[in-house]
Amino acid sequence: MEGSSKRLNNDGGVLVNAPLFVAAAHELKSPLALVRQLSLGIESGVLTGPEVERLARQITLTSERALRLTTNLTRSARLEDSLFALEPLNPASLCKEVLEEITPLYKARGRAITFSGRKRRLLGVANRDLLRRIVMNFVDNALHYGGSDSPVVISTTTLAGGSRIRLGVRDYGPAVPASSAKDTGRVPHLLHARPESSGLGVYIARQFAEAMNATIGTTRHRDGATFYVEISASTQMRLL
Amino acid sequence: MTMTKSRVLLIDDDKWLAELFAATLRQEGFSVAMAHEGLEGMEAINKQPPDVLVLDLMMPGPNGLVLLHELQSHADLADIPVVLCTNSASDIQKKHIASYGVRRVLDKTTMEPQDIVAAVKGCV
Repeated sequence: MEGSSKRLNNDGGVLVNAPLFVAAAHELKSPLALVRQLSLGIESGVLTGPEVERLARQITLTSERALRLTTNLTRSARLEDSLFALEPLNPASLCKEVLEEITPLYKARGRAITFSGRKRRLLGVANRDLLRRIVMNFVDNALHYGGSDSPVVISTTTLAGGSRIRLGVRDYGPAVPASSAKDTGRVPHLLHARPESSGLGVYIARQFAEAMNATIGTTRHRDGATFYVEISASTQMRLL
Repeated sequence: MTMTKSRVLLIDDDKWLAELFAATLRQEGFSVAMAHEGLEGMEAINKQPPDVLVLDLMMPGPNGLVLLHELQSHADLADIPVVLCTNSASDIQKKHIASYGVRRVLDKTTMEPQDIVAAVKGCV
């Protein structure tokens, strides 16, 4: 995580190899600045009752997003000291839990998110908490950096003859730069999920994935990207 | 004779913040249009060049700096006064943006609601 302190390059706003704390500050600045402006809006006293209610709700949702990030950072810093138990879990159920939790934020932002999974029941092996945080991280990034009004889609698919399960988050925003797509989760520095993002979310997701022998990656599309995490399928399923 | 409202185009990918700023400016009598990404903003400018552009820097797709470059490459758009409104004001090197028609830089992390009004009024 050692690296340059250059914060704005010629393309504008890209954090390159920045230290973790700089990236964390960058990611937290946006929701905190928004909360402050929304609070000032309420304080102004010129808003109607429903407008105040709307802004208060926006403050709650924005604060929750910032808190998710701080919790992930804390968890990320303690990964090396922890052992994460792996357990058989249903990836589709986990995706639906994430969907349920994030939908209020998507709705408030005027966006939609859906789940698309296989009809056949899947069973994977992962740490539930870390996997949930990874998927939540991806859907959070898709909302804030995707930049399109098209629905975001969470999906589960099987790979490698059913031995791997992929949980993907497809968005329809600007394409991810080729360098980022190739490197996601594979190089030991901050990666850029989106040019305007510090890449901290992807960095944390990679750490969480490694802690439970999973991998993350990106598939570039002409009209967006799929960020995914792959876990091992449970052998228990084959015994059923 | 009726006074024509000055037209402000607000380009910010954060819709909640953009709506808040737009409401503040409308209360002061400005006509405000919004765009939430660079391309959408460029289309809005092409359709009807604003009197003042309030621009965020970090956005999905073409960001604020790309948009500033684009404006400068069109003689009829290069003179639109710009107010940069960003979370990264402290990272901006003034000498880099001076030639882009940027009149004021507002820091979202410290600005008060009336700062955007004062900045826009200073441009018209």
